[in-house]
Amino acid sequence: MPVLPQRSLAECRADFPILQREVRPGVPLVYLDSTATAQKPAAVIDAMDRYYRLSNANVHRGIHTLAEEATALYEAARDRVQAFINAGSRKDVIFTRNASESINLVALTWGRRTIKSGDVIVLTEMEHHSNLVPWQMLAAETGARLEFIRVTDQGELDLEQYAQLLRLEPKLVALTHMSNVLGTINPVTEIARQAHAAGAVVLVDGAQSVPHFAVDVQTLGVDFLAFSGHKMCGPTGIGVLWGRPALLEAMPPLLGGGDMIKRVYLREFKVADRPYKFEAGTPAIAEAVGLGAAVDYLQSVGLDAIAAHEQELIAYALERLEEVPGVKVYGPSAAKKGGVAAFTLDGVHPHDVAQVLDRDGIAVRAGHHCAMPLHDRFELPATTRASFYLYNTPAEVDKLVAGLYKVKQLFG
Amino acid sequence: MPTRQESIDFILDHYEHPRHRGALADASLVVRGGNPGCGDVLTFYLRLDAGGRVAAVSFEGEGCTISQAAASVMTEKVLGLSLAELTALPQDPLIEELGRDVVSTRIRCATLAVNILKTAEQQQRTAAARGAAPAPEVS
Repeated sequence: MPVLPQRSLAECRADFPILQREVRPGVPLVYLDSTATAQKPAAVIDAMDRYYRLSNANVHRGIHTLAEEATALYEAARDRVQAFINAGSRKDVIFTRNASESINLVALTWGRRTIKSGDVIVLTEMEHHSNLVPWQMLAAETGARLEFIRVTDQGELDLEQYAQLLRLEPKLVALTHMSNVLGTINPVTEIARQAHAAGAVVLVDGAQSVPHFAVDVQTLGVDFLAFSGHKMCGPTGIGVLWGRPALLEAMPPLLGGGDMIKRVYLREFKVADRPYKFEAGTPAIAEAVGLGAAVDYLQSVGLDAIAAHEQELIAYALERLEEVPGVKVYGPSAAKKGGVAAFTLDGVHPHDVAQVLDRDGIAVRAGHHCAMPLHDRFELPATTRASFYLYNTPAEVDKLVAGLYKVKQLFG
Repeated sequence: MPTRQESIDFILDHYEHPRHRGALADASLVVRGGNPGCGDVLTFYLRLDAGGRVAAVSFEGEGCTISQAAASVMTEKVLGLSLAELTALPQDPLIEELGRDVVSTRIRCATLAVNILKTAEQQQRTAAARGAAPAPEVS
């Protein structure tokens, strides 16, 4: 693995070609939508470009040079991800399309094998639809019962109520590590410890945590971790499922086809070992290469440095946003959350807020952010969300706030 | 072609001073719809004359500026139209009137009103078949 020099965050911005563009002539891009997808550094774009220009071939079982190179690059990406999350074995790192597919994979294999009618699955009210709908589908199929850890007015999980839910002896506790709306970082280690004591398996949606702070699956104490490449400076089309070896070993394959077999006969097959039994068909090779480059990039900057930078940004953003009359930010205080600020502005629809901000090149998201039940919980049709990553600056927070004053002026 | 600022002023005028807002007590047809994704909802009240043409119209709703302004604009366009003519209403003139430049990223908001009105004939047929007034969602 290449050892890259440690880089300062101030230098990082220049690594992202898209951040140099103007949205319109004279209007620079202020990208505050990294929770939806992160921008890509040149290192990631170049790695994918280089792969297609020099090494493109199908992976595994090729004898020729390019096939060897492509396989080595694809598998090296797995090694990088393994190191990134401190997984015990590369065999437990499964490439999927995205975090949603990772969660669906668990629901459709482990879930179908394990969950029976009347079994309890514990989720939370702050889940992204990707960690709700697969379990709703499984419950509809099996007759399982869904229970939800409540979200307090401060935007945190109600852990006393969680303790009561555990008395129902759930088979699974599935929750997000960090809310994509409230920014709340959930105490996953403690939640998992209690879940295990109650006999439940724990799945964590790490789509918002893995890109932003160091996540170590061995100390986190969970059984499955799902995340996406594109939210961590990698390309779209690749995600990861990590699982405990014994669980993965017992899970049947989801999709059949090439690459997931040891031996095929006319009427039957022998399944490949993990991780390949879950990777049917030609995988997203260039995307894996890009994800590997993204891991290298994030490590060269340092996850702790990224987390500290985002902590400073969100603290500053909350302070500035709260001074704007009519703005209400949802979620806990800066110390308990990541770089996400979902807010409402009195009397102005979030879509209108977002559109006026867009005129000044400020990219925020407006809507339910794939968390409709959470918006129902706070009785909101929609919010406007600004989110931050390593390349954002306090000056961009100032532009956001100035933009909000413009919105207020327009809708006076 | 209106300028961008003229478009914004036009939209804000209809949003802040909506035409024909409120329920219509003697409506012969009530049609509803919404964009569940953004929480925009609209209800149109239509009174039809003996010839089946729109004699009175009003609307109620909640949502973003563009969706509500577009509903107000539409109430000025449908008087005298038959249900079949409502069904045939085009979207483009409304988009042009609101300002294509302003609403181009918000087409669903801009066209929600016209799309609901386009379903009036269908909703009436369904209501007649069921003997009750249904309220299907248009998304």
